[in-house]
Amino acid sequence: MADSTMLEVRNLKAGYGTRKGFVRAVDDVSFSLGRGEFLGIAGESGCGKSTLAYAIMRLLRDNARIESGSVLFKDRDFATMPAADVEAHRWTDMAMVFQSAMSALNPVLSIGEQLTDAVHAHRKASAAEAQELAAEMLSLVDINADRLKSYPHQLSGGMKQRVMIAMALILKPDLLIMDEPTTALDVVVQRSIIEKIEDLRSSLGFSVIFITHDLSLLVEISDALAIMYAGEIVERGPAGALFSDPRHPYTRGLMASFPSLTGPLVRMGGIEGSAPDLLAPPPGCRFSARCPFAEQGCREGPSPALRPLGGDRFCACALEGRLR
Amino acid sequence: MSAMALELDGVVKHFPLRSLANYGKAVHAMDDVGFGLEAGGSMALVGESGSGKTTTASVIARLYERDSGGLVVDGEPARPFRSRKESLAYKKKVQLIFQDPFGSLNPTHTIRSILERPFLIHGLANGKADLDARLNDALEQVGLSPAAEYLRRFPHELSGGQRQRVNIARTFAVEPSIVLADEPTSMLDVSIRMGVMNMMLDLKEKKGVSYLYITHDLAGARYMCGTIAVMYAGMIMEIGPTEAVIADALHPYVRLLKSASPSPESGPARARLEAKGEIPSLIDPPSGCRFHPRCPFAKPLCSEAVPELRDLGGGRRVRCVLP
Repeated sequence: MADSTMLEVRNLKAGYGTRKGFVRAVDDVSFSLGRGEFLGIAGESGCGKSTLAYAIMRLLRDNARIESGSVLFKDRDFATMPAADVEAHRWTDMAMVFQSAMSALNPVLSIGEQLTDAVHAHRKASAAEAQELAAEMLSLVDINADRLKSYPHQLSGGMKQRVMIAMALILKPDLLIMDEPTTALDVVVQRSIIEKIEDLRSSLGFSVIFITHDLSLLVEISDALAIMYAGEIVERGPAGALFSDPRHPYTRGLMASFPSLTGPLVRMGGIEGSAPDLLAPPPGCRFSARCPFAEQGCREGPSPALRPLGGDRFCACALEGRLR
Repeated sequence: MSAMALELDGVVKHFPLRSLANYGKAVHAMDDVGFGLEAGGSMALVGESGSGKTTTASVIARLYERDSGGLVVDGEPARPFRSRKESLAYKKKVQLIFQDPFGSLNPTHTIRSILERPFLIHGLANGKADLDARLNDALEQVGLSPAAEYLRRFPHELSGGQRQRVNIARTFAVEPSIVLADEPTSMLDVSIRMGVMNMMLDLKEKKGVSYLYITHDLAGARYMCGTIAVMYAGMIMEIGPTEAVIADALHPYVRLLKSASPSPESGPARARLEAKGEIPSLIDPPSGCRFHPRCPFAKPLCSEAVPELRDLGGGRRVRCVLP
């Protein structure tokens, strides 16, 4: 496994300086991603999943910074690399699809101009070459090449999101980070986008980090899953195992939070309460206030670390093994 | 057969366009929409964005009036309001829960002043003490207690789930008989959705209201409602008992919707989508069946005439000529 590792994030801490203090939105996060692997990161709003993506891409805003940790990608540490070097890797080696395709495209430039801009910014290419590449990418996402002349407002939401995917993949990156790429789309469009990503992944062989709050979707499409809560990864492992046998109480709660289309109709629990304030996270386990199993020990000391459970599974719960 | 809380019959709502390019045209938001909701029953209205489901709720709430067709509430046909009193009486009976808990509470008002409004407008409180007691009840019913703690806060001081609970408390304040819930949980975090859905089920049980539950999520519809109506491009395509429709969908669009819905149990070996494309423009809707351009089973006949909503018995109706 080790030699096929493409990305390794180690003890990454990142956050935002605010008037009220420092909000550590990503707190000691570690994971690795193999070549061609599909990692799903699930979490609720404010859990730090987007900050994690932006930190890996070194796209954090001015008021945010990476405090410590490393992002090893192709034997280089992205977390500490000079900004100019990051620029050389971004898009050619790792690219990102943003959440809102509606606002991520420039409304006054045609699709073709935006696609070729990406090529010219990162590679020496003639106008004809760039144009050809753009047409080829559009057809890969099932959009007719004569749409290159179209402006974003002339495309539907699903088409815009496919243009975003074409744009991210135009320089054939090894890693594609997708931040809620289908959240604003209808289920049928969402499904067709997911099928497209799967097809492209098997033909082009890139790895994917797919970030969303929609766990039911992630379980189905991911190889591995990481569950984030209040800035930390609380559980990770193979998607199937996490779904059939979730170990962390938060993961269990999430799995009991979406009703099913099949099987008996039973009353489901969800999770009481809401996530803690990251300005002043509570001592002990950050989920303890909402956890139905929490004991006094859970509310004291440092936050529990991810412990290996075997079978590529990790869980950050002090009570793991005692819960049944 | 039990009494009907709500009956729609052939309701049409078009929005005329006034721009030069589309002069004389209209958005066909609702065409031939008809269904009945039993008193104390619950019906899910499922569809994608642009299918006309929110327009349907707004027409039932009479935020705008239908162009034609019948609307009967509690056995009384809806007629144009002749006075504010009539309008108020109708709105007391039919209440709407909005989708966006962030946009539907006035940010400059406290929860008290937001929640007082329905009691004051409808004259439901007898003096200050009674009003206070009712405000307390309203909040505690939706799981926000101690009520006094929430009453003095502003919306921005509440989480999304708490705001939606305030919205629901406001809806139930006037003791409506019909509640139209327009995607009440779609903007909430996953972990708190179940809490709000369970609370709505409990409130329905306790208050004996009827629900029209609008959603794009088939599994959520199954959890909440006994009957389901699936809309596409302004028309109802299939209607029937939820379990039967989900287990054995007859309309090709409903099958498409089902195959596209996330279902972790099905594993990676799931079937691929049969139909492609997206929902059509409602300015120039397709002739005949509105789904025919995307339908993998379409025949020449399908583009010629709009299919009837055929009755198949067992409460099931489908707008398709094929099965």
